[in-house]
Amino acid sequence: MALWHPLRRKDAKKELNPNQDVYARFDRVKLTLGNRQVLSDVSLSLSEKRIGVVGLNGSGKSSFVRLVNGLRRADSGTVKVFGSDIDDVAADLPRFVGFVFQNPDHQAIFPTVGEEIAFGLRQLGFDKAKARDDALRFLELHSCSALVDKPFAELSEGQKQLICILAVLVMEPKVLILDEPMASLDGLAGRKIMQKLKKLDQKLLMISHDLSFLADFDRILWLEDGSIRMDSVPGDVLPAFRADVERRSALELGGDDL
Amino acid sequence: MISVYLDRPTWAHRRSAGMKLGLLALCSVLLLPQDSLILFIGCLAGALTLYASLGRDGLSQVLLLKPMIVFFGIILVFHGLFTGWQEGFVVVLRLIVMVLLANFVSITTRMDDMMDAVMPLFVPLKWLGGSPRTIALAVALVLRFVPVLMTVYGGLSESYRARGGKQGSWRLIAPFALQSLRLSENVAEALSARGGARGVFEQNRSAGRNVRLTGLQVGK
Repeated sequence: MALWHPLRRKDAKKELNPNQDVYARFDRVKLTLGNRQVLSDVSLSLSEKRIGVVGLNGSGKSSFVRLVNGLRRADSGTVKVFGSDIDDVAADLPRFVGFVFQNPDHQAIFPTVGEEIAFGLRQLGFDKAKARDDALRFLELHSCSALVDKPFAELSEGQKQLICILAVLVMEPKVLILDEPMASLDGLAGRKIMQKLKKLDQKLLMISHDLSFLADFDRILWLEDGSIRMDSVPGDVLPAFRADVERRSALELGGDDL
Repeated sequence: MISVYLDRPTWAHRRSAGMKLGLLALCSVLLLPQDSLILFIGCLAGALTLYASLGRDGLSQVLLLKPMIVFFGIILVFHGLFTGWQEGFVVVLRLIVMVLLANFVSITTRMDDMMDAVMPLFVPLKWLGGSPRTIALAVALVLRFVPVLMTVYGGLSESYRARGGKQGSWRLIAPFALQSLRLSENVAEALSARGGARGVFEQNRSAGRNVRLTGLQVGK
């Protein structure tokens, strides 16, 4: 479902090539926040259509995906996105790497749905009238045109998350990163959003605690204490991860274990 | 007014924001020196007619005056005792008419249209190196996050009361401030993920680059 043609740019000094297969390459990446080592020595490259990220809280999943769009920068090692060093192309990244957050209320900036969608287009330099027209057409394409003038605060949780995803998609990224997008949704809304995501042209990099969403992904990364514990197809990683969670939960519960 | 924008197109939505704001300014300048009670009763009738023309839910927006009744009462009594009741009524009616007219513009104007209309006033910022766009974004964020912050406060208050606290305690002020700051960090992160306050286009332009947009086309 290719929705829009890509936006083209000329005369850029550091051109990143968004059409290459590998969209991110990590080389010996380390990240420390405060005095906590969040990621230690991660090296890998990401190219598959759908990649899932699993791990316990505090395992470094959120920081890991934030390195791909420049929201976090590595302390050492290099992160290349579409072949370019992230420091050179950070200003351009929002166009190529979209990011959907866990809580829609933290992501939506504008009071109404139409303005929220049009914002991405204005960020790309469209004038107001065109941004608004295109936003409306975009909502129509996704069968959401009835929501255009609705206040964001009045939407259902599922609608809110859908609008947040559309507000990112309207900028036509090549890759969509999602940090637990279903966390605030009920099972039905979550499944509907997932169906929508699977139809997209964009490559997905998605964190999820609900492993059922990841069962038919192409690749799963399991993070533990800031390193990659396992990196393979879902059929291998998900059962192993599940077994590990079971094993840990069977141990006696102390305050340090949560 | 914040969450009361009428999300149903009416004749007043179709008028330009600049015209509505201009007329509002003109009305306040013209009404300020007047002191005829008849005139203000006429104006009130006029303002109510404007609301009624939006339909039933439009007219119900007049209820916004309810929390202000106390203040109007105080002003009226104050004037009545010290300068005369007639003048008291004039002052209060003038206030009511102006509040109603201003609110009428709020409920029938989309926020980004409103911002575009007042943007020229911020142009001097450009000479100082600032960006009017940033101001517009800041206003949008305030409007958007007032209801969100109220929910945050509601959540804190609930969990406080669930453990035996009293409603409206001053003890909630510090945690509320902390939670708001954390919320603002999340929002800032989400904003940068979409190109930041200046936008992808602006950043490229200021770096001496040229962005050519092919325009959006629908494909398969």
